[in-house]
Amino acid sequence: MRKRFFSFLSAVIILSACNSSNTNDVSQDLTIPDSVKNGKPLQISEEVMENMIQNISSPVEIASLIRSTGMPYSQKYICKTDDIEKYDSNFKRAIGLGILGADLGYLNMYNKTGSVLGNLSTIKSIADELKIGQFFDFSTLKRLSVNNENLDSLIFISTQSFNNMDSYLRESDRTSISALIVTGLWIEGLYIASQVVKENKHKDLAERIGDQKIIINDLLIILRNYKSDPNFASLIADIEAVKERYADIKISYIKGEPEAVEKDGMLVIVQNETSVVEMTDQQLADIISITEATRSKLISL
Amino acid sequence: MKAINILIIILFTIISNFSFGQCNDQLVNVCALDNNGATYIKDFKVKLKKAKKKEAAPVAKYQVALSKNTTYRFNSCNATEFAGEAIVQLFDAEQMLGSTYNMATGKNYKGFDFYCKKSGVYNIYISFKDGEEGCAVGILSFVGKEY
Repeated sequence: MRKRFFSFLSAVIILSACNSSNTNDVSQDLTIPDSVKNGKPLQISEEVMENMIQNISSPVEIASLIRSTGMPYSQKYICKTDDIEKYDSNFKRAIGLGILGADLGYLNMYNKTGSVLGNLSTIKSIADELKIGQFFDFSTLKRLSVNNENLDSLIFISTQSFNNMDSYLRESDRTSISALIVTGLWIEGLYIASQVVKENKHKDLAERIGDQKIIINDLLIILRNYKSDPNFASLIADIEAVKERYADIKISYIKGEPEAVEKDGMLVIVQNETSVVEMTDQQLADIISITEATRSKLISL
Repeated sequence: MKAINILIIILFTIISNFSFGQCNDQLVNVCALDNNGATYIKDFKVKLKKAKKKEAAPVAKYQVALSKNTTYRFNSCNATEFAGEAIVQLFDAEQMLGSTYNMATGKNYKGFDFYCKKSGVYNIYISFKDGEEGCAVGILSFVGKEY
C-alpha cells in the first residue's frame, strides 16, 4: 500500500513538472514537404485521415506482445541512433522519429534504461529540428528512465508525448509529417516483430504480422494523399511492395455474439466473433524479407 | 508516519494546483495512471454541450485498431465542474459490443475490459448520461494477452 502511494505521488509530482514545460513558442515555418503545400486539395478529409492515423497499432502494444512471447531483449533489432542523427531533411527526420518511437516502446517494455537515454536524446534532437520538440520533456523522461520504479510513468509520458505531437501536427495542418512518423512507427514495429518471429515462430506474433494486411491499406491511403511529392512517391512504392506480399494472405471471420460478465467488480466484455489469418510459412518469410529490405532502405535514406 | 503526513500534505497541495478532475490535460494524466496497472495507449478528450430538447444526446466518435487475443481496458474520468457522466460504448461497425452504461440496471461502470478476438478497426462513442453537458477523458489501455 505504502509503495503504491509513493509511486502515485512521484508520478503526480513528475507530471506536475512536465506540464510546466509545454508552453514554448513553436514556429509554424516548416518547409517540407513544399510540394504538398501548394494549395492542392487533399483527396480525403482531415477527419478521415485522423481516424486512419489513429488506427496504426501502438508501439507499446507490439512491444508488450513481443515480451509476452518470452523472447529476450535483443539490441540488434534496434536502429542505431547514429544513422538517424545524420538525416538532413525533414522528410527523413519524420520517418526516423517514427522508427525511434517504435524502438522506444520496445526498450521501455524491456526496461532498458541505458539504451532509452540514447534513444530519447536522439528523439529530442530530431523533434527539435521538426519544431515539435516541446512535446518531449527530456529531463523528466531522463529522470524517469533511471528510476525503474516509475516504468509506468515513463511509458505513459513517452506514449503521450508521441500522441500529443501527432495531434498537434494534424491540428496545425502538418498531417504529412504525422503520416511519415506513423509510417516509421509502423515499419519499425513490423520489423521488430518479424525479427522475433524469424528466431521463434510464435503463433500469436506471426498472426499479428499477418493482421497488418488490415492496416497497410489505410497507411497507403494516407501516403497517397501526398504522392505528388517525389519523396512520398518513392515511399509509396516501397510500401506498395510490402502490400504485394500480403495479397494472397486471407483473413476470414467466424461469427459470434459478445458476452458481458462481471469479474472482481469489473465489467468484462468477451468478443466471440473471431478473425483467422491464413498465411503459409513462405508468405511469412516473404513478408519478413520485404520488411527487412524496406526498413533498411528507410534508415539509410 | 510523520513523513507520510508531510507527503499527504504535499500531495493535496499539488492536487489543488493540478485542478484535479477539472476539464484540462491534467485529467488525462490522473485518469491514465489510475488504471490498475494497464498500459496507456491513447486518450480521447471529450467536451460536449447539453442536448437540446427532443434531440439525441451529442456523441463524440473515434476509431481504434484492436488486435486479436488481447485484452484492452476502456475507462473514463469526468471533469468535476460539469454534471455530465461519460458513457463509453464500443462498436464493431453497427454492432455494439460493450458499454460502460447498463440500461437494464441503470449502472454506469467507470470502465470495462474488452477481450478482443477479431483484429480490426472499431468505433468508440463517448456521450454523457441523460444528455448533460460534460467534459471527460476516455483512456484506452493495454491489459495483456490473457483474459
